[in-house]
Amino acid sequence: MAIKILAEQEKAWIEKQLNEQFGIKKIPGKIAMIGKEKLFFFTGEFEDIKIRKLEQIAPVEKIGCYFAKIIGDNIKLTIEGTQRLKEQITTGVFEINEQQAEEWMKGRELNLKTELRGFVAIKHNADFLGCGKASENKITNFIPKSRRLKNREK
Amino acid sequence: MSAKKIQELKPLLAERMKKLLPDKNDFSSFLEILKKPTQNSIRVNKLKISSEELKFRLEKKGWTINQPFKNHPEIMIIENELSPGELGRSLEHLFGYYYVQEIASMLPVLTLKPKHHEAILDLCAAPGSKTTQIASEMKNTGTIIANDVNIGRISILAANLERCGVSDAIITRKQGFEFCRKLKEHGFSFDKVLLDAPCSGEGTLRSSPATYLMWNIKSIKNLSNIQKSLIKSAIELLKPNGELVYSTCTHAPEENEEVIDFALKKFENIKIESVKLPVKCREGVANWENKTYVSDVKKSCRIYPQDNNTEGFFLAKLRKVK
Repeated sequence: MAIKILAEQEKAWIEKQLNEQFGIKKIPGKIAMIGKEKLFFFTGEFEDIKIRKLEQIAPVEKIGCYFAKIIGDNIKLTIEGTQRLKEQITTGVFEINEQQAEEWMKGRELNLKTELRGFVAIKHNADFLGCGKASENKITNFIPKSRRLKNREK
Repeated sequence: MSAKKIQELKPLLAERMKKLLPDKNDFSSFLEILKKPTQNSIRVNKLKISSEELKFRLEKKGWTINQPFKNHPEIMIIENELSPGELGRSLEHLFGYYYVQEIASMLPVLTLKPKHHEAILDLCAAPGSKTTQIASEMKNTGTIIANDVNIGRISILAANLERCGVSDAIITRKQGFEFCRKLKEHGFSFDKVLLDAPCSGEGTLRSSPATYLMWNIKSIKNLSNIQKSLIKSAIELLKPNGELVYSTCTHAPEENEEVIDFALKKFENIKIESVKLPVKCREGVANWENKTYVSDVKKSCRIYPQDNNTEGFFLAKLRKVK
């Protein structure tokens, strides 16, 4: 699996983009990229040279925590991305109520009108629930199957 | 034949357990607790939420929370009767606010005492309960190398690390002793190593009744050899004054004290240290089936299910002194 640790300049582009979309100013630690889209926080303290050595020794399956995906010119944050950066998220936030939060965590899109467009951070009370994509009449859901709420008995 | 219906130890396992628990009442207590389900225990993921906040949220759901250890408020027992899988289905679990983990399985990391900025190797890391616990203690600083050999188990490890927001770990896939050998060749060394070794699982009879069927003496002998290879190669990666915690979820001395005895005899610069834990521990056995181990193996810690209402476990802490 090809892992790239982004250079400061590349990291700055991600931060600039996240600033425009969500008001985020700074990403902690390094950013690793797997493939061409997936971004990972890496706060580990191994230097790049050590990570390269490690790749020679054994298959490196993953590094750090998956927090965002580049989609075209935009960035979609994962649940961990929104949770980790919640203190910095000041714009592009859509707040939902308890019933909507339950629907959202079941993986369902939210059929409602919003002024927002594009990727929005979904928030319920103090919890951030990842990103959705807002269009005129709905917010599309990206909660992965493994993180979805299964139907529960009341 | 359903494993769940099997509630009797195979005769040889029963005989061996009687030798380990010679007191008749003690052995009866052991058999009795095997019939009972384990407690609903969770560990707060301190990377995402405080113990107080999670307790407040869970109590709001109507759960009764018991925090049995004053110095470890992150360890919680849910006293309510829960439906199967309910712990894993809550929103708080999906958000990564807690990890469903048996209390005995939390003890190796309490023994390892990870500190900020350390380099730690978790050699047999999947499914990730202990790796997430280490990251939580290190507050995502330092570096964890979380290794396992099986790709299926690595997927579960990766999913758990992601859910818990672990960002200081690198997941590798390699056979344990081969990985250690290569790490050594390339000049890697670690402040701490956790070797939670593959084992025969005698301590998991309460939650995994399949062990009643799968248990056999031959696999114990084989596992013992694997465990010795693993501990030998893992010790060689320790920095001076580095620590290794060896743990298994089995009672078999061949997989426990015999492995520690092997390590202490093999390496002059390795010493075993006493372990202090917030649960009842019994000392390691120094004699087993015509074998006498170095007396220091008594500093190991045996956790029996009847002592603390947990699963069974074994752990020992080794230090590289020179």
